[in-house]
Amino acid sequence: MFNTPETHNLVVCTLCSCYPWSVLGLPPVWYKAPPYRSRAVIDPRGVLEEFGLTLSAETKIRVWDSTAELRYLVVPMRPEGSEKLDEAALADLVSRDSMIGTGLARVPA
Amino acid sequence: MGFGPVAPEQDEPYFHAEWEKRALGVTLAAGGLGAWNIDESRHARESLHPAIYYSSSYYEIWIRALEVLLKRHGFLSDADLAAGKAVDGAATPKRVLKAEAVAAVLARGGPCDRPLAAPARFREGERVRTKTFNPTGHTRLPRYARGKLGTVEAVHDGFVFPDSNAHGEGENPQRLYTVVFDGSEVWGEGADPTLSVSIDAWESYLEPA
Repeated sequence: MFNTPETHNLVVCTLCSCYPWSVLGLPPVWYKAPPYRSRAVIDPRGVLEEFGLTLSAETKIRVWDSTAELRYLVVPMRPEGSEKLDEAALADLVSRDSMIGTGLARVPA
Repeated sequence: MGFGPVAPEQDEPYFHAEWEKRALGVTLAAGGLGAWNIDESRHARESLHPAIYYSSSYYEIWIRALEVLLKRHGFLSDADLAAGKAVDGAATPKRVLKAEAVAAVLARGGPCDRPLAAPARFREGERVRTKTFNPTGHTRLPRYARGKLGTVEAVHDGFVFPDSNAHGEGENPQRLYTVVFDGSEVWGEGADPTLSVSIDAWESYLEPA
């Protein structure tokens, strides 16, 4: 799912720990633990604050409660200042957390 | 609130202790005995007593549930556990996962998509209500999303139905739908007005609105 200026996406598995591990590797402990699993669907802004991410008040948040059958990956927005970067350099800016939705792609130095 | 802070760890390692690696390996290898399916193993975890579930780390949950599954299928007894080794006889497994087969087995995974004969009951854009129920067995319809009015955002293919497969009642595949709800529909008063939440719902979880 593509993040846009209007909508930020966040993925969670409230029931267990479903995660696109064949692409992102094994999930972190926080993703599989009750605090994230319960709060991501109730108070995603509060969760994102813990990751140092503050969204503007107008940004919509779409939380995807994933099941085992369909796994979701967030595509973060292209960061400012990255317009001239090639694919490899862009890939370097994309973090695991930005593909869950608990982070953004890094701004290039 | 609730369970407390998410408290993400910086540069977290995959495993926090050697035993966790073993826990993962033993659980996957035991799954390779062919005695239970993944839905039954998830149900075994989720059926642990809540006080135990919530006070256990992730891999502790796996090991506790594995004990339940092994005992249920005749591979382990309480006497074995107390002795720390096999003292009672055990059932003969259908098959055993060998080391040389692991990579291929993991690569193959366990796809659960299945062909369906019937067409989709609901269409994209349709308003639907999730069922209100309180099953004693396994389900994938979260309590917060029961009896809620939402919109079908996407119609998917057929998948094994966990609610029956977990109990050895067959795969009974059903079509899966992505259903999206306004935050206010789910949480009511005080809900974040910018929030929407979606679930992936098996067809029998849904009714026309």
